Amino acid sequence: MRIGLRLQETSCRSLVLDGRNIVSAAREIHADSLAEALDSALSGIRREFGSGITDITADVGRVLASRKLANVVAVRISPRPPADAFHVAGLPALVEPAVSRTVHVCGGHDMRGRPLAPLDLEAFLTALPGILSGDVRNVAITSVGSTASMDHETRIADAILSNDSEMRISISSDFFSSIFRDRDYTAILNSALMETGEELAANLEAAGRRHFPAATLSFARNDGGRAPLARLAMMPVHGLRPEPAMAILGAATLAGVPDGEVILCADSGVSVGYTRRGLPAANSLIRQGYEASLASNAAVVGSYTANHLTRPDVPSVVADLRTDQKTPPPFGLIATLPSTHDVALVGSAAAPLTSWIDRLETVSGRADLKAVQHRAEEDAQSAAVQLGANPGQTRIIESNVFAMPYGNPGIVRIRVQAAGETSSNNERFLATEPRGATP
Amino acid sequence: MSTQLTRDDVRHLRTGAHFLACAIDPTAIHVYTDMILQAMEHQSLELTTVDELASDDLVVAVGMVTQGLFIADMPPVGDEFLGCINAMEASLGRRVRAIYPLAAANINGMIPLMVGLQSSLPVIDSDPMGRVFPLISQTTLSIGQVPISPIAMMGVTGEHALVEANSPQRAETLVRALVTELGGWAATAMYPCSAAQLKEHGVHGSVSRMIRIGQIQDSETSVERKFLMLAELLDATRVARARVSHIEGLSRPTDLGLPAQPSSVTLEDESTGQIIRLEIQNEILLVLVDGAIAAAVPDMVTLLNSEHGTVVTLDDVRVGNVVDVLTYPAAAQWYSHAGLDLTEPKAFGIPLRHPRRSHA
Repeated sequence: MRIGLRLQETSCRSLVLDGRNIVSAAREIHADSLAEALDSALSGIRREFGSGITDITADVGRVLASRKLANVVAVRISPRPPADAFHVAGLPALVEPAVSRTVHVCGGHDMRGRPLAPLDLEAFLTALPGILSGDVRNVAITSVGSTASMDHETRIADAILSNDSEMRISISSDFFSSIFRDRDYTAILNSALMETGEELAANLEAAGRRHFPAATLSFARNDGGRAPLARLAMMPVHGLRPEPAMAILGAATLAGVPDGEVILCADSGVSVGYTRRGLPAANSLIRQGYEASLASNAAVVGSYTANHLTRPDVPSVVADLRTDQKTPPPFGLIATLPSTHDVALVGSAAAPLTSWIDRLETVSGRADLKAVQHRAEEDAQSAAVQLGANPGQTRIIESNVFAMPYGNPGIVRIRVQAAGETSSNNERFLATEPRGATP
Repeated sequence: MSTQLTRDDVRHLRTGAHFLACAIDPTAIHVYTDMILQAMEHQSLELTTVDELASDDLVVAVGMVTQGLFIADMPPVGDEFLGCINAMEASLGRRVRAIYPLAAANINGMIPLMVGLQSSLPVIDSDPMGRVFPLISQTTLSIGQVPISPIAMMGVTGEHALVEANSPQRAETLVRALVTELGGWAATAMYPCSAAQLKEHGVHGSVSRMIRIGQIQDSETSVERKFLMLAELLDATRVARARVSHIEGLSRPTDLGLPAQPSSVTLEDESTGQIIRLEIQNEILLVLVDGAIAAAVPDMVTLLNSEHGTVVTLDDVRVGNVVDVLTYPAAAQWYSHAGLDLTEPKAFGIPLRHPRRSHA
């Protein structure tokens, strides 16, 4: 059995899933603190189900989103600093106040991984005492071309850590986007959330170990998967907005639809997403209008309109999640799932471990392309095993090659998603057909 | 007639510039739009017609040439285009009186506005492509034998070059090689010519057309109504409403010296059963319906989300997506023999002649 949790500042909502069946419907515990609410929720489940719990996955997105961001020093590496105020990388209004200081360092790489300028480490080391003597403990480092070479980012990070190993550092090459401002924004936000991520991971670890010492502890990711708690302290940004993905996964799990369309009728409107091989179809960016995008793999969720085209050969799930259901769902939709379930919590409970490989490769032709894609698939499955998946239970969810328009000849982007289950879970909740050709 | 552009005009231009070049991620357009809107708080922006200028006024095209790192991954620091204009003036010994876009789509449709704000030079409502083509030799000015040189270039490192070449094709080779070594893109000023030459050989009204497209796309009206308005404005046809069934990278051999990355997208029209195939090489070059040519470069192609009517960028196309495939003609100059020589599928390595070739 698996537990899905959703944490808020002083409350914890929980649900228990056995296979695809809900054995304990969603319950919410309020307390004086999150730690107390969490402890109380898990204590109640232990009394009811004993030690039969194998996995606990917590959706921490609401807590991460509600906390004040920690201050961050932004280190930007490029050949030259902006010549005027108009050419400074803009940040979304939510994050901009968190940047207490910006430091420019000369450096950066082109798409072939060749240096555009030597890294001016000497100048950075001169500025470093001023950075370390302040109150700010979080640093985000973004370099031009770090999708091709992370060398300059890691050298700056090493320089900081060798002077103060307690600093929290986020480097932009941990997040794939070929757009500087997306990586800069994501690294800054990730860095600003690391302290909260550490605190949440510690709370969950303590409560989980107390009540279910044998269970695997994870946090829900934006892509509809989960990752071990230890990653929450390092990559909190991937746990920031998991609810849409989890709602799609949860509805698909209850309906037994590993490949299909999921329509969610909520109070805020009707949205639609898709499942593919048992997980929500995902994009590598969370777009925010014309502002910088968050470079985190996340479920693709669109608004449903009267123009929506239904594909007859694809199964469709319609979940009515509205508070008031006196009127039928809009657009003539007919709910196919009972309305009483917290589908996002079901999704959290059912989420598999997921890993991504997203990188640039240089290829000389189609045979070479096939080889690098195969290697990326192997690497993605290895990454899932490193997260705790059983080597015999990993599967490729997505494997794509993207041309880079107007890029260097022969350089392509390879993007692969793998998913897996721990050895304690022999049951796959959304059984899928064996994988055929590349989607 | 000169027009003072408003902030709304710039926002619509952003939408129109993306509409006309759906093959490329629009982030750089968004970044430039923000810059332009910020700069407009302190200064007005003038869009002028070529008729407003004295016939011997020196005008130059400004735009990015890319091969490598995306502009959005290595944003300009801000002095690059001014450096190019200064270098051009020094080379020619004359003052530049106005600038025009190197291409009337994507980032190059936006850049002249920022350069205009920085330099106080008016921006001309004309360009030498009427769309975007991958090569700097693919211009109506080339058809008109207007020299491309000198070409002033500056990269993000501050390194710069001035290229003198005898032909646009040779300029293409030299510039592309330099761009790679400058880091992946270069700000450029090229095709210095008189206002009279631009008037004779350019494509006119192309900036205001982008604004008009944006006005339609950004309006609060139904998807179908927007389509009808666009069809009227652009003489556009919806070739298909179809679901993506297959995407293939490196689907054709290519000349490794030029920007390419050929790929193909196969779609199925579920109402007619037709198979649609898009051949892509930086831009969408060819649309085949059941094997027959429905559109071929220089024809223009835009993919729209069938449900929302928004532009679908090729980066975001996934198997299972339903898109409307819109085609519309390019500027008339491109359908001349000389125009087709430069831009029909054969010019991109696809052994096909444009269907209009026999009528040109």
